[in-house]
Amino acid sequence: MSDAPILKTASLRARVTEEEIEILKGVDLEIRPGEIHAIMGPNGSGKSTLAKILAGHPGYEVTGGSAFFDGQDLLELETDERARAGVFMAFQYPVAIPGVSIANFLRTALQARLEDGEELDLFDFQDILLERMELLEMSPSFAERSVNDGFSGGEKKRNEILQMAVLEPALAIMDETDSGLDIDALKVVARGVNTLQKERPEMAVLLITHYQRLLNYIQPDFVHVIVDGRIVRSGGPEVALSLEEGGYREYRQLQSTVSAA
Amino acid sequence: MSRTSTLQAPAAGPLEGVTATINAAAVERLAAGEPDWLAERRWRAWEAYERTPLPTTRLEEWRYTDLSRRLDLDALSPAARGTRAISRNTWPPELRQAMREDWDAAGHIVEIDGRVVHADLTAEAAAQGVVLASLREAVHAHPDLLREHLAAGAIPPDQGKFSALNAALWTDGTVLFVPRNVTLPLPVRITRWVSDPAAAYFTRTLVIGEDWATLSVVEEILSPHFDEQAFFLSATEVLAGDNSTTHYASVQRMGLGAFHMALYRSLVGRDARTDSLHVTLGASTARLDLNSELAAPGAHSHILGLYFGSEDQHFDHCTSQNHAAPHATSDLLYKGALDDASGSVFRGIIRVSPGAQRTDAYQTNRNLLLSEEASAHALPNLEIEADDVRCSHGATVGQLEEEALFYLQSRGLSRRRAERLVVRGFLQDVLQRRPPGSVTEKVTRAIEEKLRAH
Repeated sequence: MSDAPILKTASLRARVTEEEIEILKGVDLEIRPGEIHAIMGPNGSGKSTLAKILAGHPGYEVTGGSAFFDGQDLLELETDERARAGVFMAFQYPVAIPGVSIANFLRTALQARLEDGEELDLFDFQDILLERMELLEMSPSFAERSVNDGFSGGEKKRNEILQMAVLEPALAIMDETDSGLDIDALKVVARGVNTLQKERPEMAVLLITHYQRLLNYIQPDFVHVIVDGRIVRSGGPEVALSLEEGGYREYRQLQSTVSAA
Repeated sequence: MSRTSTLQAPAAGPLEGVTATINAAAVERLAAGEPDWLAERRWRAWEAYERTPLPTTRLEEWRYTDLSRRLDLDALSPAARGTRAISRNTWPPELRQAMREDWDAAGHIVEIDGRVVHADLTAEAAAQGVVLASLREAVHAHPDLLREHLAAGAIPPDQGKFSALNAALWTDGTVLFVPRNVTLPLPVRITRWVSDPAAAYFTRTLVIGEDWATLSVVEEILSPHFDEQAFFLSATEVLAGDNSTTHYASVQRMGLGAFHMALYRSLVGRDARTDSLHVTLGASTARLDLNSELAAPGAHSHILGLYFGSEDQHFDHCTSQNHAAPHATSDLLYKGALDDASGSVFRGIIRVSPGAQRTDAYQTNRNLLLSEEASAHALPNLEIEADDVRCSHGATVGQLEEEALFYLQSRGLSRRRAERLVVRGFLQDVLQRRPPGSVTEKVTRAIEEKLRAH
């Protein structure tokens, strides 16, 4: 594994577009290829904002600090450019695209990665898709369904994992992928992430979650606790375990102490 | 037959829409040499035309399409080329291409500038008694068929200014007759091309499926762009016998500068099923008056509409599902995307007559606006005079969802590609409700062409 970080943020600050209040108040984060980082925090802590800022959601804007991805200034890139550079965000609430099959969607996404005038080989694509679906133990008919249209919560998350498998990102951000999932669906997601990372060990993963339970199935290398827009503690998996016992209360107190100081 | 024998009291004031081209002399010329019943039918239609004023925006059905601004009947001259014999090797490449894309058929009709120039039918179909012919030919070869049905039951000439105009001045068209119990395994393809600027075209299509017949018709209308407005008024009558199955599709891909007005009416018999798809992509102004009459118990009508406007195109769809008998069902879905400064109107009504109990009728119109200047008017309506029915209607006018676009962009699609994919899916949803076949592929290609300009 390389020592150069794939993602490096410094004092990253952000808010909801055109609103006064900052949600991220200076986040420093370094993720190296192959590492799994978990960011945990209570509701409203800014953890999901971090995911959206990194993916380039137009509803959020950076107010300060920096973010570099693979040596490039991430904040200078458009959403689609970030994706093509290797950033992938699995959505908390994936959007339905009626009339567009998953296969068509992925084909279009891969085509978009090619130079103008270059054509995606459809036979190659078909092979890749089927092979990825087999790896993830999905039925080939799943790819014929319209993207997220009428999907259950679990199916939507499986679709996110499939996209991640086909698009092969350098950094996969899982934005509260575990929310609203029953334990079986959660296991499917976790198995997907683990399978893909085993296959491509250089893939970095940023798990954004409220709950510790996802980390029972995906073993993080680093855990960060974010409260009120700042990372207040970083460490190994033991940080998550302590959260399971004590919740976020002590961090909130810590935070108020820091603010008061 | 001369006009004076049936002429009624002269109308007061100037006759609206009577021009140097559209006049009694034109009826006279067309009626010359025709059997009496037909000439009489033309004159009756002409009289209805004369006494009917041109629709204005004061009429509900024409509120958003101002003919005084959009249609200049005075500027139109008769189509010239249509009177010339056209040999196959002089057919325009666009027409040949459209036919090549969808060649497989039970029969072909090619209509150029208001005249049928080619008709073929498989020997197998002919042996079963199927008739596919130009109207001009059928007048003499199948007079009884035309006398009974042409401009009679489905689109009688007294139902408005333009049904009268077409019935008075049609130059040619197609008749398809499929006898009882006969199944056509492939569609009949009618390809129409008009090319003279500032010309008026009036043609008709008559489709008759007898009891237990199964048939499919695809009509395609093409033209180049026009500097001076060309006006194409077509009338399609579909008579679906008891227990028959009819698939109909029309694809309008005329050039800008054209005004296409289509009258379509289906009469659906007992336990018969008609499926129709109406695709509007071309012409500067397109108006469709669509009516499906559920005439007998158990009749079923499934109606799909698809439109994609761009530049300053204006599409006006006026639909009605008339439930005249009990236990009939109808389901209409119209979806359209509007780009640039294009606009659309959808006015649909479900009418349920007092005796039409146990009616199931649905009507949905969905519009997707792709630009700030685009507009869509959606006016669904119900008129129910029976008490044991299930009817629903709904309409939406929406824009591209930012969250959906972000989702696609986050997978590497540029904003443009993302928009195109959403529009493609929105419209594909309509085509996916048709059995897979070449017309849907052709429409998909035409949509792609338009999307590339978005």
